[in-house]
Amino acid sequence: MPKESDERIELLQGTLDMLILRTLVFGPAHGHQIAKHIQRTTDDILQVEHGSLYPALHRLERKGWIAAKWEAAGKDLKREFKYYRLTAAGKKQLIAEESKWKGLTRAIARIMWPAEES
Amino acid sequence: MRWWRRNPNREADLDRELRSHLELEAQEQQENGVSPSEAPWAAQRALGNWTRTKEATREMWKYASLERFIQDLRYGARLFRRSPGFSIVAVLTLALGIGANTAIFSVVNAVLLKPLPYPDPDRLVHVWEGKVGEGAAKNVVEPFNFLDWRERNRSFDQMAAISGGITLNVTGIGQPEALPGAEVTTDFFDILGTPPLMGRGFIREEGIPGHDGAVVLSYSYWQRHFGADPSALGRKLTVNRVPRVVIGVMPQGFSFPGPKAELWTPLPLARTKMWQGGRFLSVLARLKHGVTIAKAQEDMTAIARQLETERPFTNKNWTAEVFPLAEDSTERVRLPLLVLLGAVGFVLLIACANVANLLLMRSTGRLHEIGVRVALGAGRGRILQQLLSENLLLSLAGWAAGLGIGYWGLKGLLVLLPNNIPLPRADSIQLDNRVFLFTLAAAVATTLLFGLVPALHVSRLELSNSLKQGSPRTGTGGNRVFRRVFVVMEMAMALLLLSGAGLAMRSFSKLISVHTGFDPQRVLTMQVSMPSSTFQAAGQYMERILDEVRSVPGVESAGSIHFLPLTERVSGSCFTREARLAANLSAMSGADYLVISRDYFRTMGTPLAAGRDFNAHDQFGTASVAVINQSFAQQYFPGEDPVGRRINVCWTIPNPVEIVGVVADARQKELRLAPRPTIFLANPQAPRVFGQLVMRSKSDPRRLARAVEAAIHRVNKDQPVSAVSTMEEVLSGSVAEPRFQLGLLLVFAAIAVLLAAIGVYGVVSYSVNQRTREIGIRVALGARAGNVAGLVLREGMLLAGIGVVLGLAGALALTRVLRSLLFEITPTDPLTLFTVSWLLLIVSAVAIAAPARRAISVDPMVALRHE
Repeated sequence: MPKESDERIELLQGTLDMLILRTLVFGPAHGHQIAKHIQRTTDDILQVEHGSLYPALHRLERKGWIAAKWEAAGKDLKREFKYYRLTAAGKKQLIAEESKWKGLTRAIARIMWPAEES
Repeated sequence: MRWWRRNPNREADLDRELRSHLELEAQEQQENGVSPSEAPWAAQRALGNWTRTKEATREMWKYASLERFIQDLRYGARLFRRSPGFSIVAVLTLALGIGANTAIFSVVNAVLLKPLPYPDPDRLVHVWEGKVGEGAAKNVVEPFNFLDWRERNRSFDQMAAISGGITLNVTGIGQPEALPGAEVTTDFFDILGTPPLMGRGFIREEGIPGHDGAVVLSYSYWQRHFGADPSALGRKLTVNRVPRVVIGVMPQGFSFPGPKAELWTPLPLARTKMWQGGRFLSVLARLKHGVTIAKAQEDMTAIARQLETERPFTNKNWTAEVFPLAEDSTERVRLPLLVLLGAVGFVLLIACANVANLLLMRSTGRLHEIGVRVALGAGRGRILQQLLSENLLLSLAGWAAGLGIGYWGLKGLLVLLPNNIPLPRADSIQLDNRVFLFTLAAAVATTLLFGLVPALHVSRLELSNSLKQGSPRTGTGGNRVFRRVFVVMEMAMALLLLSGAGLAMRSFSKLISVHTGFDPQRVLTMQVSMPSSTFQAAGQYMERILDEVRSVPGVESAGSIHFLPLTERVSGSCFTREARLAANLSAMSGADYLVISRDYFRTMGTPLAAGRDFNAHDQFGTASVAVINQSFAQQYFPGEDPVGRRINVCWTIPNPVEIVGVVADARQKELRLAPRPTIFLANPQAPRVFGQLVMRSKSDPRRLARAVEAAIHRVNKDQPVSAVSTMEEVLSGSVAEPRFQLGLLLVFAAIAVLLAAIGVYGVVSYSVNQRTREIGIRVALGARAGNVAGLVLREGMLLAGIGVVLGLAGALALTRVLRSLLFEITPTDPLTLFTVSWLLLIVSAVAIAAPARRAISVDPMVALRHE
């Protein structure tokens, strides 16, 4: 498949899961909200291809880290969205991923900027 | 049942979720200033490929891959239904290959692979005697040696001796009968370990001479004669003139030795003069736990060495050899079976190549479809998966149809199987799980073999090309190369099979045109054997029977011999021209010997070369006489006249023996074995317990049978008569095995050639279709019919030619495994290879002729408008 070339930073393998989990800490959200939240919080540097978001959501749901439910949105009661929320297992998973990530960034930092260390 | 359909709720759910995403995104884009008409498209772009997203999401569901696989299968099934011609040809081709493999593998499985039907079969061994330096000669065993082995060995739990290969005479219950069976020492049943169905096996006491009045029946004998009545136990039978009590019945399927044993009686071996000297026992033993064959062999070699020094007369230069029973009992059929398995393997490969070609040709027509799939977001792996799923469907259909063909093929095979083929456990041949698994594995392997190349090929195609072309007319270069490689391979393998079949045919025709040394026409044979109380009486008994038979109207002449020619039997002895026997047997020259009556040679039509035949004056107590064959005369009396010479023969006759005649050579043991130096002894002087009558009739020998039997029963009403057949039947039966094998090889080679011809036809014919336009231009520019035909023929014959050359190279390398199966021709017999090469080329030319004709008849105008 021909790939479009674009400027955004590609997500590291596996980090999308962590970002989704982290986003859901603030409360239930639907797919679009999650995508927008990740984009906005990072000042559009991290662009999630929306297409890759849904497989990730369904995967996390199958693993039992998040749960989904169709619910009406706050103001417009006629429209329902599929809201995802963090489960207890998801919270535990998030903590594990976080510490793994911290370890990884610290290790990378040590190589990249040795002077700033200590 | 539609359970395989995608979960509709989940599907709708995903659809709804993605739609709501698009709506929200469009809304947002609009808020950011994108025009209302552009916004949905922008949203769509942000999401990426809609179908791919859905596909990728579905992947995350639990059974997605299975669902997808089933979807592919369903799609494949629809495709095959839509092109029934293609499907039928492909499935039939595969079914032919798989069917042939099913049938042959069933036989291989039952005969070679399944463990022997006894408990702990790996511990069962045969122990043979062998002459030092002669390799695995597997000679039968001398009774005293067996007794010593049994006492001294430390390797076996038990050892039993079997005196088999002869028939047992049953009298005192209905018609006298001679039945296959064995005399066995008492540990026999314990060694095999099969518990009797009823009653018991032998106990040690029954092995003592005089206490051996017991008999064990086979299941089929019990069924036939006692109607499966349990009260058969304790009933009385006379077997070999000894009254015996039925003590046990063996379960169905138990038969040892040989496939049709009916009765077992104790063999009362003892260290008495009467048992000493001759080698005639088979020895069966069960290894102790943890003892290996090598260890047992070491043990037995040491014992044999002791016996060599203790009894040099019989044992000088003899040793003992241990062989696993399973290997021993299948030795003769192993190679022929493996050759057949190899042959059907090639047939399957050829079938695969054909189907691969069909798929390749079809795939060119599917480029458009594949292109659309790729455009809609299918990855290469996904396309590959789809194509392979379709192929799997094809091979499963081929497998199912192949099992059907295999089932009927096997049935036919077993019906046609000559009943004298020593195929152990032929009754257990069936389509069992292992056969199913083997053929399934073959089917799946073929999927990969024939499916992968076309699938890889198609999935690699440039999608833009295939879409632009609309319906592509020409296969791409790679595709054409593959098709040709497949055809060349098919040709090569077909030639290989054809060479094998050709060699077998030449060998067989040489075998049946062998000069037998006797005239089988109008000769009736039958077996009459009667262990007699005394040596002298046995000789006289046979003479009385012969006298009575000679008086039957229609009998021209009659005689007897102790082993009929071509029944794989002969006796061996040794002799010396010195005044007395040497210190040990192996210091003397070996020769075959046969005990015959007078008129045997006349009846068989074997001419005397010198001296005289036996006559009525050669009786028990008169001077011992012998007739020798020409081989004997040439080998031991070169340039001398043997008539009147005396020799000392190792056993069975009072010495010395005067040679009174020389007779022409005749084949004895097997048709394929050249005559060996043979000593003929006179029946009254050296009688044997077994006898075969031969009678030359004035007309159809079969008509004599009843009158001759009546004559025999006038001498003794309890004399069983068995194996009544004409000498022509015996002759034909002796070559049944190679004939059967030849038949199978011919069938497989014919299938192979047919498939290869279809293959070359298909490829050339396809290529003519593709080149219609080109041919049209050529014709328009003035090419003649000959040029056009030459073009097509060259293409096809080049492929066939390369295939033949490769096949010849393969044949030179592979046919050597046939060496031991061939008679008087070498595996690289030039005439055979030359002939089959031409045959294959001619068949190819015929196959190419049809497309060539079509090419000639191309109308340039039509062809040019064609596109």
